[in-house]
Amino acid sequence: MMKKTVGLGVAASVVLAGGLAVAELREGYVYFEPSSEEHPLDEIISGREFRDDATRALQEDDFENPGFLSLEEGEELWSTVDGSENKSCESCHGDVAEGMAGVGSTYPKLMAQGGKTTLTNIENQINTCRTERMGAEAYKYDKPQLTGLTVLIKNVDRGEPVNVSTEGDYESWFKKGEELYYTRVGQLDMSCAHCHEEHYGEYIRADHLSQGQTNGFPTYRFKWQGMGSLHRRFSGCMKNIRGVPYAKGSDEFLALELYTAWRGQGLPVETPSVRN
Amino acid sequence: MAKVKPRVKVPKKAAAGDIVTIKTLISHPMESGQRKDKKTGELIPRKIINSFTAEFNGAKFFSADIDPAVSANPYMQFSLKVPESGEVKFTWVDDEGSV
Amino acid sequence: MSSPLWTYRMALGAAVAALTVATALAGTVGPGDVEIVDDSAIPASLTGVAGDPVAGKDVFTGRKLGNCLACHQVSSLMDEQQFHGEVAPPLDGVADRYSEGELRLQVVNSKVINEDTLMPAFYRVEGLNRVNEKFEGKTILTAQQVEDVVAYLQTLKE
Repeated sequence: MMKKTVGLGVAASVVLAGGLAVAELREGYVYFEPSSEEHPLDEIISGREFRDDATRALQEDDFENPGFLSLEEGEELWSTVDGSENKSCESCHGDVAEGMAGVGSTYPKLMAQGGKTTLTNIENQINTCRTERMGAEAYKYDKPQLTGLTVLIKNVDRGEPVNVSTEGDYESWFKKGEELYYTRVGQLDMSCAHCHEEHYGEYIRADHLSQGQTNGFPTYRFKWQGMGSLHRRFSGCMKNIRGVPYAKGSDEFLALELYTAWRGQGLPVETPSVRN
Repeated sequence: MAKVKPRVKVPKKAAAGDIVTIKTLISHPMESGQRKDKKTGELIPRKIINSFTAEFNGAKFFSADIDPAVSANPYMQFSLKVPESGEVKFTWVDDEGSV
Repeated sequence: MSSPLWTYRMALGAAVAALTVATALAGTVGPGDVEIVDDSAIPASLTGVAGDPVAGKDVFTGRKLGNCLACHQVSSLMDEQQFHGEVAPPLDGVADRYSEGELRLQVVNSKVINEDTLMPAFYRVEGLNRVNEKFEGKTILTAQQVEDVVAYLQTLKE
C-alpha cells in the first residue's frame, strides 16, 4: 500500500479517470492507492483530509481530542465485571492492547451469533459477548458504554491499515453493500455515490463532501457535540435525503459497513477521529 | 446522562520558577438552555459548567466564568509559574452544584 | 414548533392555499400528468397562474424548499447568500441557454434529460425508494412553487 502526499499546486488539478475534476483539497493532502483495479476511486482519502487545520490538530492531540473521554469510559468498562457469569471483558480477553490487536482494522467479520454465522461489527460483537458469555444485557446502539468499548477496541489498531475480507462467504454481504451504496433513496432520490464518489472534495452548500470513509469511526463530531457510531452517520445521511434509514446494527447497515470499509481498504484506522 | 469525568495534564516535575503549561478537559454536555426538545417542543433546561478555578497550594491562580455558548466537553489551557513544590487543585462547578 | 409566530404563519398559509384552490385547482397539473414534449421540455404552465419571480427567488434560496444553492452558484446572489454549492453548474445566464419549457422540465424532473443526475426531481412522486413518511406522496415543491422558480430562473440573464 503506497501512501502519497500531493505536492504544491497539484491538488487543484487532479483529474479522475471518469473526467470529473476533483476539487480543491489543501496542498499536501494524503492519499492512498486503491486496493484493486476494480476500485471505483483513483485515490483513497481519509475524511481527516477534508477537515481544517484546527480540527485535524484536535484529533492529533490525544489529550485535547474529546474522543478520548469516550475511550477512557471504555477502559473502565473493559475490566468491570457485569452480568450473571461474573465476568468482565478482561476475564477472557486479558489486556485490551493484546487481546484486541488486529480487530479494529479487520471488522466487520463473519462470526457465530445465536447459532448461525452472520456479519458482525464491533458493536454487535460486544453485545453478543455480553448476552452469550457474560450473562449481561446488550447495550443499546450508540449508548456511551457501547461506543466507549468500541472506541477502545478500535483504537488498539490505530495506524493499522483497514483490511476487511470481501471474498468467499463475505461476497454476498459485499455485493449487498455495494448495491445499497448505489441505490437511490428518499424524496431527494440520491445514492451514496452521488455525493461521496462523484463529488467528493466539492462543497454542497457549506459542507465539504468527503469520500465517506469509515476509518475514523466511532468519531467525535462537532455537530453532535459528542461521539457517534458509523451507523448513526449512515442514518443521518439517509435522513438528510429524506429517506427512511435502516436500523442501526441491521444487516443492511452491516453490509454497507463492509462495503464502505473496503472502499477505504488501506487507510489507517484513526479512531477516535474528530469531524465537523 | 453521560458521566462527568475530568482529564488533567500537569507536568509532574518542574524547577522552582519554571512556567508550566496545564491542560484540562472535562466531559459535560453543556446544555445551553436554548434548545428545544424535538418531540415535546419544550425548552431543555440549561445545564452548563458555569465556573472553573485552579488553585496552587490553596491559592487561586486561574479562574473562568463560563457562559452557555461554550460547547460540550470544555477544554482549558493555561500557565503557572511554579514557586515551590505543591498541589494543584481544580474545581468545576455546574448549574446543579459542584462537579 | 409551537411559537406564536409559526402558528400565525401556518394559519395565513392555509388561508392563501384555500383561495388558490378555489381559483386555480382546475388548471393545476398533478405530478403524474405533466406533459413532457420530446423528452426535452414542458411548455405548458403547471398551474395556469403566471410564476412570480420574487416568490420564486425565496423558493430557490430557501433551505427547506428548493435549496438550489446547495449545489448551484448564482453570482447575483453572492452578496446576500453565503456558501453556494459546487456540485452542479452555475446558473448565471441560464435563461439565455434554455427556454421556459426546458427550465420547467429541469425543475420538475431533470432525470428525463440525464438519468444519472444527482439533481432531485422537484415535482414527482412516482418511482422513489424508502421516502421518509413526512414526505411520502408529496412533491418537494408545489406546482405553483415550480412556476415561481421557473419565473425566477428566467431573470438569470447575462
